[in-house]
Amino acid sequence: MTQVTRARSGLTNKQRHILWTGIRMLLTLPFVALIMIPLLYTFMMSVLPADELYTRFWPSHFDFSSYMLVFTKTMIPRQILNSFIVASSVTILQMITCSMAAFSFSFLHFKGRNFVFMCILATMMVPWEATIISNYLTVSAWKWLNTYHVLILPYACSAMGIFLMRQHYLTFAKELHEAARLDGCSNWRFLATIVVPLSRPALGALGAYIFLQQWNNYLWPLLVTNSDSVRTVQIGVASMYDVDSEQINLMMSAVIVCLVPSLSIFIFMQKNLINGLMAGAVKG
Amino acid sequence: MSIAKAKASSPPRLKRDTRTFYERIEPWLFLLPALLVFGVFLYFPFFKTGYLSAYLTDRVGNPVKFIGFKNYTDFLTGTHSKTFWNSMWVTVRFVFFVAAGGLVMGIITSLLTEKAFPGNALASAIFAMPIAIASSAASMSFKMILHPSIGLLNKILGTSINWLNDINYTFGVICILAIWLATGINFIFISAGFRNVPADLYESASIDGANAWHKFRYITLPCISPTLFFQIIIDVINAFQTFNIVKILTLGGPMESTNTIVYSIYLDAFRNYRFGMASARSIILFLIIMIITLIQFRAEGRSVHYQ
Repeated sequence: MTQVTRARSGLTNKQRHILWTGIRMLLTLPFVALIMIPLLYTFMMSVLPADELYTRFWPSHFDFSSYMLVFTKTMIPRQILNSFIVASSVTILQMITCSMAAFSFSFLHFKGRNFVFMCILATMMVPWEATIISNYLTVSAWKWLNTYHVLILPYACSAMGIFLMRQHYLTFAKELHEAARLDGCSNWRFLATIVVPLSRPALGALGAYIFLQQWNNYLWPLLVTNSDSVRTVQIGVASMYDVDSEQINLMMSAVIVCLVPSLSIFIFMQKNLINGLMAGAVKG
Repeated sequence: MSIAKAKASSPPRLKRDTRTFYERIEPWLFLLPALLVFGVFLYFPFFKTGYLSAYLTDRVGNPVKFIGFKNYTDFLTGTHSKTFWNSMWVTVRFVFFVAAGGLVMGIITSLLTEKAFPGNALASAIFAMPIAIASSAASMSFKMILHPSIGLLNKILGTSINWLNDINYTFGVICILAIWLATGINFIFISAGFRNVPADLYESASIDGANAWHKFRYITLPCISPTLFFQIIIDVINAFQTFNIVKILTLGGPMESTNTIVYSIYLDAFRNYRFGMASARSIILFLIIMIITLIQFRAEGRSVHYQ
């Protein structure tokens, strides 16, 4: 079969391989462009000198002055700080609560364990719309609006995190736990000094995933905050269009500035993050 | 009598009795923070939403008068039915196009990066990248690209279309942005599905003289169909819950052509302060998503036998 093909096309296997690689690269290019163009365009618009906005795509010179303005004349720096505070607090809290709950579900035995676990998994089915109205009414009755804790506490635990960590803990040998118990090690110490250090990759993936999710969170911060002192950066960026419709450079610089942290995490954690997502996807 | 005796002296019960009070509650202590968060911010509000949906509420969301299913009948058949069924129709079309488009993008990008070539790793990273991009930031970029006078798209096409306020285009534009954002997750899961196809199947097919199309049709497709099915469900659920891009780009317009059910819930609750009505719509949405998830669980059970 291959001999026939080769005779017909007059190409050796190596030449065919090179040809196909070339075709593959050529076909990949437009799709790479499709993803990259909006981002590159945003960057270009942020460095385009103001008088060239209407005429050019590629700036005659790169004008970074709007980045200076973003950091000195807008609320974006404060909002970035707020986003960092909220996203890191949520990340740390979830790592703790999810590790503890997952430990209980995978190492300890108690009545109703499977039932409670199913109740937690079932929450994955509940869309955010079904809880957000009541949550909003609750936190505003508690006078929690415009605080950090209203942004942090509702996300202090997640079914996805518990599931992910439990999947990981189930790969541990039961003997490890038994041996530690016989040596008089309490469950708390066993979790803190043996299980957690051994789960660093899984915890890292979970952490990166939670941080990204929180950094990009939009609706809840929009509902429960209206003062710039606690507003997060996504709200700030999205509201710039209304305020500064003339200042396109400024707006596009702000978009780039708020993309840098999440894209950095993606680039540094890419492999870990993708593996973590895959493990979580085993049961959605 | 003898059975009761045997039961009473069975080892498990003896063992349980030897545990101290602390040992018995310890598992619950580990669960306490999680259960507290879920209780306060998930289970309680979920049931409260169901409760509110049967009430007429005041402007701050207090239930005022029990009205049974009137909130439901109001939008299913009554005064608000036109908006509701329009938003359902918009949502169904949106979900269809976004799930189909995301899937196609995922399959194409996965196929392109399946075999090694120079730049493969970079292309893979770029295809996965949208998972890290905030939908609000992406919406702002697209707002610029679609700007009627200075946007990139109009410059390239030489037109001056108001993409975000023209009933012929706005819906399509929103779908394209949603597909762009969904490409990352589709690429990650579908390309993993391709990688998991056993390589020896391809080898033995080559020996049997199968061509590229036969290999794709009879090996690749059956092996990745569970992955694809799973991914469709994820895409459908995500598309059902899309909110940010509608809020930032179109506000449901023009003429309600992008007024998805999620956005109409937001309007009802947080603009018109009809919390009871909004709760009722949320319950309907929950039922839809629950049915889809149950279908997924059932199908997953089947796909295990499949492999």
